[in-house]
Amino acid sequence: MPADAISAKFDVRRWDAVAGGAPRYQRYELELAPHTPILSALLRIRDEVDPSLTLRYSCRSAICGSCAMQINSKSRLACETQVGPEMDRHGRIVVEPMRNQPVLRDLVVDQSPFWTQYDRIEPHLKLDPAHPMPEGRPTSMTPEQVERFKETPRCIACAACYSACPAVEADAAFPGPMALAKLYRFVVDPRDHATQDRLVRIQPNGLWLCLRCHLCTEACPKDVRPSERIRDLKEMAIAVQGGTERGSRHAIGFKENIEDRGLLSEAKLVRQTYGAAGMIGQLPQGLRIWRKKPEVLHKPRRIEGADELDRIYEALDRESEGAP
Amino acid sequence: MKLAYYPGCVAQESGRELDMATRWVCRALEIELVEFPSFSCCGSGFVDEANEVLNLAINSRNLAIAERAGLDLLTICSTCQGMLTLANVRRRDPAVRARVDAALKPIGIEYRDSVHVKHLLRVLTEDVGLDAIRSRVRRPLAGLRVGAFYGCHLLRPADEMGWESGEEPHAFEDLLGAIGATPVDYRGRVLCCGFPIQFVKPDTASRIAGRQILDAKSHGAHAMATPCPLCHISLDAYQNQAERAVQQPLDMPIFHLPQVVGLALGATPEELGLARHLVPTEPALARIGSSSL
Ligand code: SF4
Ligand code: SF4
Ligand code: FES
Repeated sequence: MPADAISAKFDVRRWDAVAGGAPRYQRYELELAPHTPILSALLRIRDEVDPSLTLRYSCRSAICGSCAMQINSKSRLACETQVGPEMDRHGRIVVEPMRNQPVLRDLVVDQSPFWTQYDRIEPHLKLDPAHPMPEGRPTSMTPEQVERFKETPRCIACAACYSACPAVEADAAFPGPMALAKLYRFVVDPRDHATQDRLVRIQPNGLWLCLRCHLCTEACPKDVRPSERIRDLKEMAIAVQGGTERGSRHAIGFKENIEDRGLLSEAKLVRQTYGAAGMIGQLPQGLRIWRKKPEVLHKPRRIEGADELDRIYEALDRESEGAP
Repeated sequence: MKLAYYPGCVAQESGRELDMATRWVCRALEIELVEFPSFSCCGSGFVDEANEVLNLAINSRNLAIAERAGLDLLTICSTCQGMLTLANVRRRDPAVRARVDAALKPIGIEYRDSVHVKHLLRVLTEDVGLDAIRSRVRRPLAGLRVGAFYGCHLLRPADEMGWESGEEPHAFEDLLGAIGATPVDYRGRVLCCGFPIQFVKPDTASRIAGRQILDAKSHGAHAMATPCPLCHISLDAYQNQAERAVQQPLDMPIFHLPQVVGLALGATPEELGLARHLVPTEPALARIGSSSL
């Protein structure tokens, strides 16, 4: 046993979809070096203490993406998360399966929701029929073109981001961070011929449900930064289609709203997003709020230097109005 | 301490109670607030969705205003904090910087990257310090179990926001402890309030807000407190819709960060604008023996 060994306490969620019943948390205690990966600890538990503990893993080196699970509520790869810091911070290590995918047994989930959303974005190149891939040799890309992929090719499809995403949790229609980051990768691929179509089709119940909470970016073990690529897709979607969705209308409306006076006019924003007719549905809630906060109907003051803002818009908002 | 005060849009209109409470707390802690009628809206994350560089440019303009006065900037909104910080961070990319500066230069604005953007939560916990706050507490919030609700943009992306852990922050809980309250540990404290899609898909937004309130409640919270007025809108002004979405009564009083601090430092509910909330705060006030509204 290493000299710096610590006594690590694991509370592992146990449940079996076939047997049913209520899930339980089972306590295991092991003496371990602080740098021990949690996956190694779980495998030791399985091999030495409790052969019924069920988990999924393969490479043990953060490559295959098989071992994602929740560790003290964070979605993580178990093979690259160490015991010591978790014990320091929480005094115990709660190990649970990933969220947003049905549990099969213990730490193993059924990943089909994740893969169904992945399929939805059609993750393959769609070439221009007039310019098929040249026979016998790969098409080449310039370094600048490769640069546009940003970090997206690093994705190992571990679903940690999908597990962490509150939009997925609240709305099964939302494609989730990984699928959208992958979509970005095809949208910016110079060989792909379906960019516009992809951007149009991902908008209903897609792109605009992202909360930009950045929890996916925090969870991702490969720094794919899905939330930032989703932002990029939103801007590109507006460029190809303008404000056809509530989400895009809201973003455009907000931008135009503050150009006027420099500060947000709340009532006007509601009108911009819902339209005059749609505002009727907002009336009861609006009245409830207005009773306590009459300022919701105020026109804000015009900031000093609002003309500077105008000039900034002039310089930057015209140039963005091209296709991606 | 002297800071450029960036109240943001909501605190100047429908969230005025946040502005009132901020001024009260800053007066009590001798933080001088310098006002600039030229500050614009931060874009609230929506302008960023529509046009990233435009968003960076309008916020670089805001930062330049504080810079000209030689002041660091105080925010009281997680989203303002996020957007203004992004303007600082993304400028490190030379291509972005060139585009932003090219838009600012013709109007005589130059920003030299010197302004620190600090949320009130950070100023209170780091610059004022917990000991100083503890020593000024006149009415400890003893017996009040409070769920801190951070608001996404204050924390994440953590490598860009450059402060707390994006998933396991503790500043707010530390502060709640210093004013005598009992912080409640619950998963939802770092999750989203649903606000960004309140206009896109209200049912989903309300379900998200409702879940976080339920989570705090099931961990024994008597109240929640947030450093973000947009979270406050979702959690307080739209709590009735959140109740409908999760099909349960919630009755959760939602405080703005400076309101809980103000209460502990001796402010009256009137001075903190508590009557402006949609969800009554009396049940929480009763627990700390504060005079009713
Ligand atoms: S930023 Fe969007 S995709 Fe990422 S976790 Fe939040 S809601 Fe999900
Ligand atoms: S984006 Fe990151 S977290 Fe999501 S599946 Fe890919 S590697 Fe995993
Ligand atoms: S076991 Fe392969 S990524 Fe962890």
